Amino acid sequence: MAPALRLRGVSKYFGSVSALSNVNLDAYAGEVHAIVGDNGAGKSTTIKIIAGIHRPDDGEVLVNGEELAHVNSAATARKHGIAVVYQDLALVECLDIAHNMALGNLPRKFGIVLDRRRMEREAAEVLRDLKVRVGNVRTPVGLLSGGQRQVVAVARAVRTDRPIMLLDEPTAALGVQETAQVGDIIDRLRASGKAVIIVSHDLDFVFSHADRVTVLRLGRTVGTRAVTDTGREQVVGMITGAVPADPTPDHEVAS
Amino acid sequence: MTMTAASKTVPDPGRGPESKRDSVLTKILVRQETTLILVMLVIGAFAASRSSLFLSPDNVTEIFRSSVIYFVMACGAGLLIIGGGMDFSAGAVFTLGALSTCKLLVEGAAWPLAILAGLAVCCVIGVVNFVVVTYLHVPPIIATLGTFYMLTGIDNLVTGGADILPLPESFQRIGQGNVAGVSNDVLIAIAVGLLFWFLLERTRFGVNVRALGGNRQAAVGNGLRVVRLDVALYVIAAATAALAGIIYSARVGAGQVTAGGTSTTLNAITAVLIGGVSLMGGMGTIQGIAVGAVLLSLIDNALVLTSIPPQYNSIVIGAILVCAVAVDHLRRSRIYRKR
Ligand SMILES: Nc1ncnc2c1ncn2[C@@H]1O[C@H](COP(=O)(O)OP(=O)(O)O)[C@@H](O)[C@H]1O
Ligand SMILES: [Mg+2]
Repeated sequence: MAPALRLRGVSKYFGSVSALSNVNLDAYAGEVHAIVGDNGAGKSTTIKIIAGIHRPDDGEVLVNGEELAHVNSAATARKHGIAVVYQDLALVECLDIAHNMALGNLPRKFGIVLDRRRMEREAAEVLRDLKVRVGNVRTPVGLLSGGQRQVVAVARAVRTDRPIMLLDEPTAALGVQETAQVGDIIDRLRASGKAVIIVSHDLDFVFSHADRVTVLRLGRTVGTRAVTDTGREQVVGMITGAVPADPTPDHEVAS
Repeated sequence: MTMTAASKTVPDPGRGPESKRDSVLTKILVRQETTLILVMLVIGAFAASRSSLFLSPDNVTEIFRSSVIYFVMACGAGLLIIGGGMDFSAGAVFTLGALSTCKLLVEGAAWPLAILAGLAVCCVIGVVNFVVVTYLHVPPIIATLGTFYMLTGIDNLVTGGADILPLPESFQRIGQGNVAGVSNDVLIAIAVGLLFWFLLERTRFGVNVRALGGNRQAAVGNGLRVVRLDVALYVIAAATAALAGIIYSARVGAGQVTAGGTSTTLNAITAVLIGGVSLMGGMGTIQGIAVGAVLLSLIDNALVLTSIPPQYNSIVIGAILVCAVAVDHLRRSRIYRKR
């Protein structure tokens, strides 16, 4: 079976700074794939390339074995089945929960009129399905706590119901109980057959929810392990460089 | 009790913080229009007590009529500011729209055609503003200020400083006629206001504009076509400036090269900001902008009628402007809690 999402030899420069070089990753449907690494390792950049925010300078992104050419905006990435929770959450504070959850995909009636009622109903439904309580969907996001915002951002990605879900540090601002809640959501997404990619610093979280883990270090792939075949020590070693990188696959794009 | 336990883990803002913080003060701050209407009543009461003319139907009509120009411009400028942009070229676009239309009129073009052409010329200026901001990465204030200066020069060169006269009756009626006692220009302003209200509050475009101004990165991240929104906003701002200029020339019966200018730009932006649109983007309403525009012309009018020297006009408007922006900051800090 072709991986739901595959990165092959992806490189990215910001000016003269190399953020990623030759990043490889295979994520499968029905699995949770964690990306870990130190600050600045290139995790968010990887996510943003898949999301269509950045264009890779080299390499390719494949969805179900097909290369995503011309993906140059989050809208086209979404069309190809990708939903994202960004590290900065990408919420608009002055808009309410319902508007934020429908952003980029607002329901319309009569061709041009915003269908507010449907938007609010859908938002409330998703939040209820996820068993999260963030209050009235008309509450401006600016009024929410960090944890509530994170939950709204996750709920928005869930609402779009895409086969590939990317979550960049979805538990960063959360307390113990909220983290468990997001963990449940991730487990459910996997059970429903989605390919879930999470970036996390929290190795406990990774080991209890992920099937595979890919380690990035200084913009390069150190290696990928099945969670059952590895331990925390090895992963920490890969993050810090104590464990050497796996030999890179030979499909690096010819220059 | 289980309710309280649940709401402790994820506190319910629908009740928790809001009910406590939703003080009378907050409510008033959130609805800037209410404060402004109070200010209007105070100024109105003062003016009425000093001049019996103030409340006469003719004078009230005059107040609304003189707010039309501010309001029409402010609709486009306000939408742009809500979307995170800024347009200082409006005063020169105003003149350009008026001059282009009037030039075509004296050459014998039919007035609908002349108006459309005048608007079209100015839409091109909107595109120029957009291009300079987006592709040359010049900050909006500087880019549009540059456009303002260049257009002012061009406006003067093209006309040689002379008024464009005479304009056909049919065209002048746009600014001078009335329907059932309501002046045409006021009717146009109402139509423009309704259109912009609908755009902002009832369409996807409006929500996207707020999202763009509220958090541009979030707009990009959620797949909004931000470049398309930007170009639309700059073109719309230029179009309303031109429309205001055209209405003005119909009212005075001439294409005047001195019609627009710095004060016209500043008045439009002032109406927008006094009306509660946030300079930081994302927040603001057309109702607020309408009240802001009427307040500007009310102050003008009241000071003239009470024979207070015109210098005070600027002082009062300046003070109100500063207050409005300070209130905006206060409002934001109350609506947005620190995470
Ligand atoms: N928009 C950008 N412009 C310039 N440099 C960037 C940008 N985004 C990320 N970088 C750089 O790329 C590297 C990887 O960053 P990032 O992907 O955010 O790391 P991580 O998410 O793993 O902490 C860092 O050195 C960062 O400074
Ligand atoms: Mg990151």
